[in-house]
Amino acid sequence: MTKTTRTTWLGSAAVALAMAGLGGPAGAAETLTFIWHAGTCADAVVNIAKDYPDKNVSIVPALVPYGPEWHNKIASEFAIKGDGFDFAMWDSQSTAEFAGGGHAYSINKVFEESEYLKPELFDPASLARYGEYPDGSGQYWGLPINQDAYGFMWRKDLFEDPEEQAAFKEKYGKDLKVPQTYQDAKEIAEFFTRPEEGLFGWGQMGGREYDFATTASNSFMWSFGGELYNPETFEAKGYLNSPASVDGVQFYVDMFEYGPQGSQNWGWDEVNAAFQQGKLAMAMQWYYFNGSNSDPKVNKFAETTGFGNLPGAIGRDGKFRRQYSVGGQGMGINTYSKKIPQLVKFMEWYFQPEQQKRYAAVCQTGLKSVLDDPEWQGLNSYNKHFAKALEYTNDYWHLPEYNVLLDILQEEVSNAISGKKTVQEALDDAAERHEEVFEDAGYEIVRSDETPEVPDTVIAPVGTDQVVELSTD
Amino acid sequence: MRQAIPAGRTAAHAVPRAISDRTICGLFMAPALAILLLMVAYPFISLLYYSTLNFSILNPAKGSEFIGLQNYTRLLSRESVWERFVFTGQFVLATVVVQFCVGVAVAYAFQRNFKGRDLLFTIAMLPMMLCPIVVGFLWRYMFNSEWGVVNYLVTLLGFGKIDWLGVPGNALWAVVIADAWMWTPFVILLATAAFRGIPTDINEAAEIDGASPFFRFTRVTLPMSMPILLIAFLLRLIDAFKQSDLFFAMTGGGPGSDTETVAFRLGKIAFSHFYTGQASAFAVIMLVIIIGLSLIFVRLLTQQGRQD
Repeated sequence: MTKTTRTTWLGSAAVALAMAGLGGPAGAAETLTFIWHAGTCADAVVNIAKDYPDKNVSIVPALVPYGPEWHNKIASEFAIKGDGFDFAMWDSQSTAEFAGGGHAYSINKVFEESEYLKPELFDPASLARYGEYPDGSGQYWGLPINQDAYGFMWRKDLFEDPEEQAAFKEKYGKDLKVPQTYQDAKEIAEFFTRPEEGLFGWGQMGGREYDFATTASNSFMWSFGGELYNPETFEAKGYLNSPASVDGVQFYVDMFEYGPQGSQNWGWDEVNAAFQQGKLAMAMQWYYFNGSNSDPKVNKFAETTGFGNLPGAIGRDGKFRRQYSVGGQGMGINTYSKKIPQLVKFMEWYFQPEQQKRYAAVCQTGLKSVLDDPEWQGLNSYNKHFAKALEYTNDYWHLPEYNVLLDILQEEVSNAISGKKTVQEALDDAAERHEEVFEDAGYEIVRSDETPEVPDTVIAPVGTDQVVELSTD
Repeated sequence: MRQAIPAGRTAAHAVPRAISDRTICGLFMAPALAILLLMVAYPFISLLYYSTLNFSILNPAKGSEFIGLQNYTRLLSRESVWERFVFTGQFVLATVVVQFCVGVAVAYAFQRNFKGRDLLFTIAMLPMMLCPIVVGFLWRYMFNSEWGVVNYLVTLLGFGKIDWLGVPGNALWAVVIADAWMWTPFVILLATAAFRGIPTDINEAAEIDGASPFFRFTRVTLPMSMPILLIAFLLRLIDAFKQSDLFFAMTGGGPGSDTETVAFRLGKIAFSHFYTGQASAFAVIMLVIIIGLSLIFVRLLTQQGRQD
């Protein structure tokens, strides 16, 4: 190596080292980064945040597709105790996992320290649903930033067609109307299933990914009086595989008969696409998507699409129940963030009614004053139904082991959908595996002498003797 | 005026210096070596250590417990884990065979001179430049039973619609098609490089001796390309063994867990369930298998080299 070459190399190294030292954080604006799944609601937060008066603070989205990578991105950052994001919107059922691991900043502290942010701003049920862990403890780890529930949509042009109405009456001896029970929905789905015309009666998710199949199957299971487990005794056997749970999941599996071939593998995207193409008479879908499904530019049947709440079911005990999966996310704070005071200031601004009204124009806010406002309820055809929907929601396990339990249930329900196992076999296996997870996690399973045929009757009874009809206007 | 340099000495030697060439080389290599140690040796030792613990990185408050080889025995005694290995083996075999049959044939066809060959070759390379997850979602929609283009073509041929992604056997082939579409270009690329490296006079000599095109391909082209083809085979084998993106996007591992590969399951245990100890043990098992496969092929390559 010549002297010239050596000098050049050493000089280059020195320049590189010097350059590496440049470009530090000095002079950079303060950023608050959040993780959420990409979509209309995340875009709304970003747009509203652009008007945040403190121009030294900018809100930076780190958006991922809806699904496991969204959960995993948040969880991975928590696992390294990193401050790669300052706040995140996570699923209601993830609160237990993140708060239980000590990664979420206490919202109770925020309530104590903030002049504006107080529990009274939110509906107590919403606050509990999106942020409380353990259940009933009064300890909150998230604010209800985006509420959601499983909803229902149908083709009004088909339901209101006199010829269809007459044909239905002739075949089933009853009027064709928007179903209030799954039993009615099954008949209507059968009636509209005409593969030769490219029309099918019912669309629902059945995909193996994330929570696609089980948010739907649970809605059936709870409506038939089933339960995931007994939260007092930690028994899954006798609850998840109870006769009522099997009835519900069996009904769900049977409904694929009235959907297009391959719908057993669908996620929300395919349900939307099929409905927007006019292939479905009815579909289970999250309220979240009503904005796009009511847009004529997206859905060519938007003008004739009805939006409302899912049916309930008459269970084997003769009781009527209407229960469906809660959706939406709580807004949690990363406890490792170094910008919590700045973030709380932003939250105080963001949760003002002015900002929340803007958000609620496209998504479902958690702020009570906006939800209760008749102006918001009359903004479109579905907001008033959503306000009602929240009374009928139910959720997965609020336990730190949620993600493992979910994966097992997804796998077994998927086995039942594909016919690899009967519904009874699938739920028997799921219950057994869930109890293994409980035991591994250190929960004590207190075995009952007898388990109920309809678990809802002993856990949180919601059954009524009569069908409680909800508006479908 | 230039100063005269004594015979046997270079200009560099003429200048006194504090640091020798060897030291400078060492200094420049040191950061790379340190990074290598940090990025390979440390994680590997950590991996071995974590694989002996009952531990979740997402829940450090629960602490960790040394459980020896229990993570290994627990994994290897589970029928569901072996089923994942069998499924992965089926996938690897199917996809690598398809890629090699198609890839070598296409590369051989590219040996001929024809108009637009280079453009066609460039276009053929495009699939492997795409992001795997994008390819997965692309094929998911193309395989959609109701409105996918694949079933449209199937019905044009007079057959009924096929549930590509909802039936385990069909789903395996659907992913094999997607994987082959994406990675056959890689085989074409390496096979083309191998074929073009063969001196033309050998083929010409064989042709003069009356060898048929098939004979020349099997007795001249293939044997002489074997070292590069073996490397391509090894790389595709390892890559296929690690495949999870396409399954994630196309089937989500379902129905049930019938289309979960070992890499898919490992990713789930590690980053969804956050069973860190168990995931570490699973990763060690995968590593051992990949090293084993690699050793077999390295041995084959060495033997090939000796024969040449």
